[in-house]
Amino acid sequence: MKTMLRAAVAGVSLLLGVGTALAEGELQIYNWGNYTSPELVKKFEEKYKVKVSITDYDSNDTALAKVRAGGTGFDIAIPSGNFLPVWISEGLILEARPDQMENFKNLREDFVNPPFDPGRHYSVPWLWGTYGVAVNTKHYSGDIDTWKVIFDPPDELKGKINIVPEMGDAIYAAMTYTGGTYCSGDKEMLKKARDVLLAAKPHWMSMEYATQEPMVKGDMLATSDWNGSVLRQRLVNPDIRYGFPREGTFIWQDTVVILKEAKNVENAKLFINFIMDPENAAMNSAFARYANAINGSEPFMPEDMKGAPELGLPDFMKGKTIFSVACPPDVVELYTKIWTDVMK
Amino acid sequence: MATERRKPFAIKAQPGFGLVAMLCFFMLYLPIAILVVYAFNAGENIALWEGFSLRWFQSAWANETVQEAAMRSLFLASVSATIATIVAGMAAIATTRTAPYRGLTFKYAMINQPLMVPEIVTAVSLLIVFSRFKVWTGYSGIGYLVLAHTAFCIPFAYLPIRARLENMDLTLERAAADLYATPWQAFKRVTLPLLVPGLVAGYMLAFVISLDDVVITEFVKSGGQETLPTYMLGQLRRAVSPEINAIATVFLALSVLLVTLFYFVNRKKN
Repeated sequence: MKTMLRAAVAGVSLLLGVGTALAEGELQIYNWGNYTSPELVKKFEEKYKVKVSITDYDSNDTALAKVRAGGTGFDIAIPSGNFLPVWISEGLILEARPDQMENFKNLREDFVNPPFDPGRHYSVPWLWGTYGVAVNTKHYSGDIDTWKVIFDPPDELKGKINIVPEMGDAIYAAMTYTGGTYCSGDKEMLKKARDVLLAAKPHWMSMEYATQEPMVKGDMLATSDWNGSVLRQRLVNPDIRYGFPREGTFIWQDTVVILKEAKNVENAKLFINFIMDPENAAMNSAFARYANAINGSEPFMPEDMKGAPELGLPDFMKGKTIFSVACPPDVVELYTKIWTDVMK
Repeated sequence: MATERRKPFAIKAQPGFGLVAMLCFFMLYLPIAILVVYAFNAGENIALWEGFSLRWFQSAWANETVQEAAMRSLFLASVSATIATIVAGMAAIATTRTAPYRGLTFKYAMINQPLMVPEIVTAVSLLIVFSRFKVWTGYSGIGYLVLAHTAFCIPFAYLPIRARLENMDLTLERAAADLYATPWQAFKRVTLPLLVPGLVAGYMLAFVISLDDVVITEFVKSGGQETLPTYMLGQLRRAVSPEINAIATVFLALSVLLVTLFYFVNRKKN
């Protein structure tokens, strides 16, 4: 009986993974789903003899909730930059000083000092992108580098326009279009933005996230969208072009951080340094189809992404972009009110 | 029960019943049908049909992450369903082979609690409690997922087992007792064999429920504990490839198969 019991205990503990060799050569990454290049992971595993395991999340909120609760077993997480202040102020992130790592020199200058992590003491960019407009140029050949396409559309596009219903992004677009500043709670400014949104709404066909299929098929002729998404659309339907709104727009970025509860801090640091290598950064971009922030990665990019107009930032956009940030709660409340009006 | 009613209210005879029913079936099954059709798409897009192909099934099959997640899902479902069926079976016997007493209804309610409590509430509370445990014990293995899945699978296993026990011919058990069978013998030789269809039905239902779970798993899983549904959820954020359709199709087939089996096993008893 005793031996049976012992065998049972051994069996159960084996099943539950107790005491299996976890200690050496491990790295647990917690990332957005479908966002981590398997080739990149394999290369890292082979180079450093580390077993990497990827776990997905589907939203910043889920990730934050889980890490906040603790005991996740993750070493690295990749939250969006605008969420980073919360992660830092709640003490969830290790001050790993990526700015002192060897490959940090490869980081694009304009990414060294983001407002959410000045001097990069906590994070490095994973991938980044812009928010703009996608237009089917077969049906409209006018100027597309403007929010006008969405907010004061030409007749050719009317009734075939979509806006991605991401509150912060949509309101920011309306605010830059009317000359406002983001995260401002100024009532006058907000009223202008609201009026623009409400006046434009009758010309829209939908407010949907899923833009790929209708754009490619031509059911939808214009939409607000993120650049990587438009790149994918253009590769299927060459008539589609990405417009950079010269009134101003966002740059979003997801950032790589080491959690305070990480068990494999050294491996995590190796990984952060590793992805700042140009060739590896290109692998990452190739998989997720978004730009990286590493100088010198261009030659390693896949052919269909080399010089892709969607991925860069044209000169006329200099000084017209901001890194997306989280607005103060009272401002968000005002935005929510506007957004409720728009969604009605 | 058999009260006399001259004209029972027959919903089928109401005007428009057929139309409403058709509409409901249409709304329910059309999206699923489209999803399945596009799993066989040769192209990379889930909206443009480019001919028939099995490439996405092959690519899903060859995808190591999918393989691992699928194996984990199956492991989790079989372990959780097994434990849940045993526990539910014991609970069902304890709540049916007894004289009714005060608090029995309360016990039913307690056992079936996971059916009533919104999943997100269970998920959040498990997240909070389990992360404490993870920090204290340093253990963050799959045991938490097994526990969580077992917990919400119990009522699904319990209901068919209890139904079976209630419909069973009690005279057989009494006869066994009259013939000097000990309670254990009576259970082993009479009750248990008669109970098997209920246990199988309960097991399969629990298995499917565990296999399909997203919300609780998403909150409880630790590093490297992706199950097939949470993996699929993660994939949806960016462009969906027909690979997801292919996985969903296989998944759907498996669930339908199990539920069909459940139906036949259950029908046999009547």
